[in-house]
Amino acid sequence: MVYYIFTLVFFCFDYFILAMGLNIEYGETGILNFAYIGFVAIGAYFTGVFSLHSAANSGQHYILGLGLPFPINLLLGGIATMAFALIVALITLRRLRTDYLAIVLISLSLVLYDFCNNFVSIFNGADGLYNVPEPYAKAFGLTVNSFIPFFACVTALISLLMWFVMSRVTRAPMGRTFRAIRDDQVVAAALGKNVFRMQLKSMLIGSFYAGIGGGLLIQFGGSFNPTAWLPGETFVIFAVLIVGGAGNNIGMFVGALLVETLLIHLPAFLPEIPGHPGLIEYFDNAVVGIVLMLMLWFRPQGVVPAGIRRAATFGVVERDHDSSLPTSTEMPLLSSGVGNE
Amino acid sequence: MQLFWLSVGFGCVTASVLAIAAVGLSLQFGITNYVNFAYGDFMALGGFFAYVLNNQVFHLDIWIALVIGSLAMGVFAVIVNRLILGPFARRFSSSHYVLIVTFGLSLIMLNASYSIWGAQVRFFNMPIAPALHLGPLLFTRNQLIVIAIAVGLMLAVHTMLKATRLGKSMRAMSDNTTLAMTSGIDTKRITTITWFLSGTLAGVAGTVLGISEGNLTPASGELFLFVIFAAVILGGVGSIYGAIAGALLIGLATEISAAFINPAYKLDIAFVALILTLLIRPSGLIARPGTT
Repeated sequence: MVYYIFTLVFFCFDYFILAMGLNIEYGETGILNFAYIGFVAIGAYFTGVFSLHSAANSGQHYILGLGLPFPINLLLGGIATMAFALIVALITLRRLRTDYLAIVLISLSLVLYDFCNNFVSIFNGADGLYNVPEPYAKAFGLTVNSFIPFFACVTALISLLMWFVMSRVTRAPMGRTFRAIRDDQVVAAALGKNVFRMQLKSMLIGSFYAGIGGGLLIQFGGSFNPTAWLPGETFVIFAVLIVGGAGNNIGMFVGALLVETLLIHLPAFLPEIPGHPGLIEYFDNAVVGIVLMLMLWFRPQGVVPAGIRRAATFGVVERDHDSSLPTSTEMPLLSSGVGNE
Repeated sequence: MQLFWLSVGFGCVTASVLAIAAVGLSLQFGITNYVNFAYGDFMALGGFFAYVLNNQVFHLDIWIALVIGSLAMGVFAVIVNRLILGPFARRFSSSHYVLIVTFGLSLIMLNASYSIWGAQVRFFNMPIAPALHLGPLLFTRNQLIVIAIAVGLMLAVHTMLKATRLGKSMRAMSDNTTLAMTSGIDTKRITTITWFLSGTLAGVAGTVLGISEGNLTPASGELFLFVIFAAVILGGVGSIYGAIAGALLIGLATEISAAFINPAYKLDIAFVALILTLLIRPSGLIARPGTT
């Protein structure tokens, strides 16, 4: 039971990272990235192959196999994801409007899945990677059981570090430019902002987070199975984002906590309906969709709404009537920071 | 060479399925101006409606089941628009929300189909016909009927758009909704009819996909969806004739390439076509003027 709770802790923090990455792309910059899980998969794959040893006598097919120690392979996995995102962004971001971009990205997500499943000599086909070494398990003499709490704590630390960095990024001038682009690309461009460059930056940062989150997933589970990267999985991260409140980093944690515990892991305890294997799981996935629609309709700003980042007051103090909004004192802004248009 | 002609035959069948699906998607996109990501699941559900009529309830002939199942799918699409997509589209001006909602709808429909029909592969109950030679091409009787249905539907859609008052209103609305509204077109009614047509075409496409592939699962539509996207983007988003042309090209390209490279990658060919279109001519073969 204790191990189960630590597994839950791990998933909460990991989805916190993933949701922060999606948040900077969608919540802050307005890039509707429906291929997000594809980037997570790339991160997972590269983290895996950087930590695995040479593929020669493992019975699997993969490239590299460098056998690098833990934090280095994770970082390289994140960087590999960024490189992949750079290619994708250069092709798609330059001239596509939102819905075309969404079409291309969702197609990309499906093709990546199909490609991983079929291309045996690099991705090992539908078997995926397995026996990925557990970081520090040998050095600290960790058993299978003690590894879970250990790695959950490592993930928590990493996610807090990444949250700190992300909160700096979103508060910096760059973050304000992102929000300006989200609210109106034309206005942002008229004010001299290079929309393409900023979107590219946002996508690169988001992909790095996706890569790290994916890398932690493969290090935790020790295997990489293409079926875990179906496009529908992107939707779980979108659910975390919408439930938590788009455009708000703290909300991402609340969202990850709520969605992961209540919707993804709790239903596993429900008794299986006899004669219908997997029925609970199907219901569960459908419920994620229903919850998301209800959230969007009744509370589009999420459980923890993004605070209105007000302009500098220049001596005129405005009272914040809604005490639930975090008060922030920030520099002048091109746009308000509310998530719902 | 024989392999080439065989794959051309398959390409014609795939192109037919693709054309029906692409026209249904394009009609709805032109009117409502957002993409329906649940379209693949609309197709699969339409296929399952026909399956139920064909195999489980009345044991109807597959072609009758196709007609009734597709009409039921049309009604379903109207209900979905009335209850879910329409309200969201009216409430939020940004298209992001509707796109996320259609994505969620896709997840709900897929998993609902899984809970009802399970994950196993289903087959339509239909007679096996001998193959017919048509010049160098080789078709089964069912494949010929599928092609005939596609050609008939394309002609019907063309006549409707060009010759009827309804089609004229639809074209007006797809060019400029506000202007159409001020000209006295009942846009709400047109939207409902469009959803009905889009759903019906999705139902037909899903069923003939099941017939031509020989099997049906709740996830049948998911992977096919992006081949439709490739056809629609190649043809020019929102243009019906572009969608037909794109469907022909993508259908032939995927099947003919499957004869020469590993057939497992035929989806990737469609994706490469999609990317090349975006790089070379993002507006597609037949660009629709006046849309931003």
